[in-house]
Amino acid sequence: MRASPLRPGRFESRFTAARNEVFLVDNTLRDGEQTAGVVFANQEKVRIAKLLSDIGVHELEAGSPWLCAEERQAISEISSLGLSSRILAFCHADTEHIRMAADCGVDGVIISMSTSDRHIQKKYGRDRTWLLETVGEAATAARDAGLPFVISAEDASRTSLDFLLAFAVAAEKLGAERFRFCDSLSLFDPFMSFQRVQTLLEAISIDVEVHCHNDFGMATANSLAGIRAGARYVTVSVNGLGERTGNAALEEVVMALKYLDGNDLGITTGQFREISEYVARASSRAIPIWKAIVGTNVFAHESGIHADGVIKNPLTYEVFSPDEVGLARQLVVGKHSGSRTIQYKFKEFGIDLTDVEANDILAMTRTMSVDLKRALFEKELMYIYQDFLRLKAERPDQVDDTDDDE
Amino acid sequence: MREDFGGYLLQRPSDGTPLHVHIDDTTLRDGEQTAGVVFANEEKLHIAKLLDQVGVYQIEAGIPVMGGDEKIAVAQIAALDLNCSILAWNRAVVSDVQASLDCGVDAVAISMSSSDIHIEHKLRQSREWVLESVKRAVTFAKDHNVYVSVNAEDASRSDMEFLLSFARTARDAGADRLRFCDTLGILDPFNTFMKIKTVIDVVGIDVEMHTHNDFGMATANAIAGIKAGARFVNTTVNGLGERAGNAALEEVVMAIKYIEGIDLGLNTGKFRELSEYVAIASDRPIPAWKPIVGANLFAYECENRSSVCLFDPGSYEVFPPEAVGLQRRFILGKYSGVGTLRLKLAEHGIAITDDEAALFIVRIRSKSVSLKRALFDEELLDYHRAEIGAVREELRETEFGGRDLLEDAAADVGAVLSEVGDES
Repeated sequence: MRASPLRPGRFESRFTAARNEVFLVDNTLRDGEQTAGVVFANQEKVRIAKLLSDIGVHELEAGSPWLCAEERQAISEISSLGLSSRILAFCHADTEHIRMAADCGVDGVIISMSTSDRHIQKKYGRDRTWLLETVGEAATAARDAGLPFVISAEDASRTSLDFLLAFAVAAEKLGAERFRFCDSLSLFDPFMSFQRVQTLLEAISIDVEVHCHNDFGMATANSLAGIRAGARYVTVSVNGLGERTGNAALEEVVMALKYLDGNDLGITTGQFREISEYVARASSRAIPIWKAIVGTNVFAHESGIHADGVIKNPLTYEVFSPDEVGLARQLVVGKHSGSRTIQYKFKEFGIDLTDVEANDILAMTRTMSVDLKRALFEKELMYIYQDFLRLKAERPDQVDDTDDDE
Repeated sequence: MREDFGGYLLQRPSDGTPLHVHIDDTTLRDGEQTAGVVFANEEKLHIAKLLDQVGVYQIEAGIPVMGGDEKIAVAQIAALDLNCSILAWNRAVVSDVQASLDCGVDAVAISMSSSDIHIEHKLRQSREWVLESVKRAVTFAKDHNVYVSVNAEDASRSDMEFLLSFARTARDAGADRLRFCDTLGILDPFNTFMKIKTVIDVVGIDVEMHTHNDFGMATANAIAGIKAGARFVNTTVNGLGERAGNAALEEVVMAIKYIEGIDLGLNTGKFRELSEYVAIASDRPIPAWKPIVGANLFAYECENRSSVCLFDPGSYEVFPPEAVGLQRRFILGKYSGVGTLRLKLAEHGIAITDDEAALFIVRIRSKSVSLKRALFDEELLDYHRAEIGAVREELRETEFGGRDLLEDAAADVGAVLSEVGDES
C-alpha cells in the first residue's frame, strides 16, 4: 500500500459551520441553449426563468445579448419580470457586449475569456498580455455601466496554475464580484477540483464559482468537490442541459447537497420533475427514464430483493421519498420479480394470494416477461391471474415452480 | 507535463510495475435487473462476446439460481471459452452457489447486506447470522475452487466496525475480494475514498467498487475508490442498472485514461458499437448527450467551437471521436457562423463567397430560431437554392461591395463572427 498524501482533514468542508451559503447559478437559458441542436422560443425562455425563480434559484444566466435581436428581446423581457432571481447576461470581454447587456436591463454580467495557452494561441491568436488588457477594458465598461460583473476563466482546468492565479488576482483587482472557474473540457476529477478551488481561494478574497462539464460523467461530483473546498457559487442547468454532454444538473446538485452533505438550500424540490419535463420538451431532449433524481424509473423496483425491501421499509432502497421531487414509487413485475411483489401487486387489486399461489403466478409472469422481453403491464397480470384460475380449476395439483430469488 | 495536484493523482506502484485496474462488467446481471429490462439469451451471448473483445477482465453473467433461461444463459456464456473470467451472482446461500457451479463458471459473487437497516428490515436477522451465512457460503465455494467475491450490499450505510468484521470474515473464509456496494448511490468521492482506504488498510483485502448513480456520482465514486486502492471496478455498458444505474464502463475507462493518465489497454474503439447494441437489447436508447458515447459528443454548432475545431480539435476535444467509435459532426443552427456554413456547403460541392456567406448566415440563424432547432443538410440545400438568388441580388443592390459589406454584416450579428471564446 503506497503512502497516501490524502488525510481526512484535507477534505474538510468549509461549510460545516455556515450552511446554506451556496448559491445556484442556472445556465439552462445560456449554456443549455448553446447545446448543438437546441433552440428555445422566447416565450419558453420566459417560462423557464419564472419556474426557476419560483423554486428559489438564486441567479439566472438569461442569455448572450450579442447573439441576435431575438436573444436581446428575451433577456430584456426576463429582466423586466421582477423575479426574485438575479438576472445575468453572458458576454465576452468586449465593451460592445457589455453595452448590449446593459441595454437589456440585467442585474449583472459574466465576462468570459479563455485562459489556457492553447486557446489563447489557437483561438485568439494573441498572448497573455493582450488577454489581461482586454479583460481590463471590459471590466471598466461594466463598471461604467454600473453593472456588477463576474470574471469567468474558460478552459481554466487546462490553464497553467501560475497564470490562472495571476488572472484571478487581476479579476479581483478589477472589481469582479466573483471568479468563475470553468472545467470546460471536464479534465478534472473531484480531488483535482477540490485542490484547485482551495488554491484559488488562498490567492483571492472574492468568491469562486465552479462551472463543470459532464464529459466523463463527473460534473455533479466535481461541483460538489468545489463547494466542499469553499466555492459558494455553482453553475447548474436543468437536466444538465449544456454543450456536448452537458453541465452539472440542477436537480442532482441540490439533492446531493441536501442528502450527501446535509446542506438544505431551501429549494422547492417538489417542482423538479415539472421543470425537468418542461425543459425536456422545450429542448426536444426527452428525460431518460433512468436520469438521476428526475427519471421516472428511479423509484421503480423490480428485482425480488429490492422490491421486498421497499415493501417492508422504503428506506432499504430509497434515500428520499419520491414525492420530494414530484415522482411516484412503482413496483414493476418482470423477470426479476419475487413472490412478495406478486402478493403486493395483487393486494392492490384486492386479491389476497397465498405463498403457494404467489409462487405459481410468479413462474407464469417470469415466463411471459422473458418471452416479451420486458416488464408486464397491470392488465397482463390480470390476464395471467385468469389463466391461473382456469389452470387451477383444471389441474388442482399444478406443478410448483422453483423458488424465487429473494 | 502533468501537474501532480499535491499527490492527488492516481499513482502507479512505486516498484514500476503497471497499475492494474480490473473491469468486472455487470451489464448482464445488475444491468438486466433494471426495472423493465430483459435480455434474450442470444443477446446475452452477443454482449458477452463484445465485452470480451473490448478486453474486460471479468463478466458477471447472471443469477443461476433463478433457473430457466437465466441459468442456461450463464452456462452458455461460461462455455464460450472467452478470454475473460465469468462470474455468477449468488445470495449467501449454499444452494445458490451450487447452481452457479452447475453452470461451469470460474468465479462467484456471494452477496449479503451489511447495513443494519437491511439486516433488521429486509433480512430480519442478526449481524451474527449475516457473518455465519457469509462464512458458510464462501467456504462451500472455495471448496470447489472458484474465485470468490464477497459483496457487501449497502456497504456505504454499514457501521464501519461491522463492515470491517464482515470483510475479515470474508477474507478468513478464503474470499478473494470484497465488493463494496454503494447500493443507494449515497456516497460522494471523499467519503468513498476514506471508507475504501480504511477497509484496505485495516483488513488488507482486494476491493471492488460497485457504485450507483442516484445522485449522478457513480463514475466519480468509482474513480475515488480506485484512487484509494481498489483494484476492481464493477461497471455496466451505458450505466444500465437499478434505478439511475451503475458506473458506466465507457466513462470509467476513459476517465482513468484521460483524467488519471493511465491506459488500461482496452479496445475503446468498440465502445459505441457495444453501447448501441446494449441500448437496443435493453430498449433504452443512448441519449445524444450521453458522456463518451452520445452522438452529440462531437457535434459542433457554436461558431467559435466549429471554426476552432477545423484546425485545432484539441482546443475542444480531450480525445478524438475515433477513440470511442464516433464521428465529428458540424451542425448549422442559431449559434453557427460562416465557417460552419461554408463547410456544410462544401460537403455538398457548393462554393460561396465571403460576402454571400455573411448575408446568408443571418437568414440561416433566423430560420433556425423559427424552426426551434438546427437545420438538416437537405433543408440547407433547399434553402440555399431558394435564397441564394435573393442574397446575390441584395449584394448587387448595395453600393458597398466586397470586404466592407462583410464587415458590416459581421458587426451586425455581433461577435459571433468576429470574436471568440464561447464559454462552456
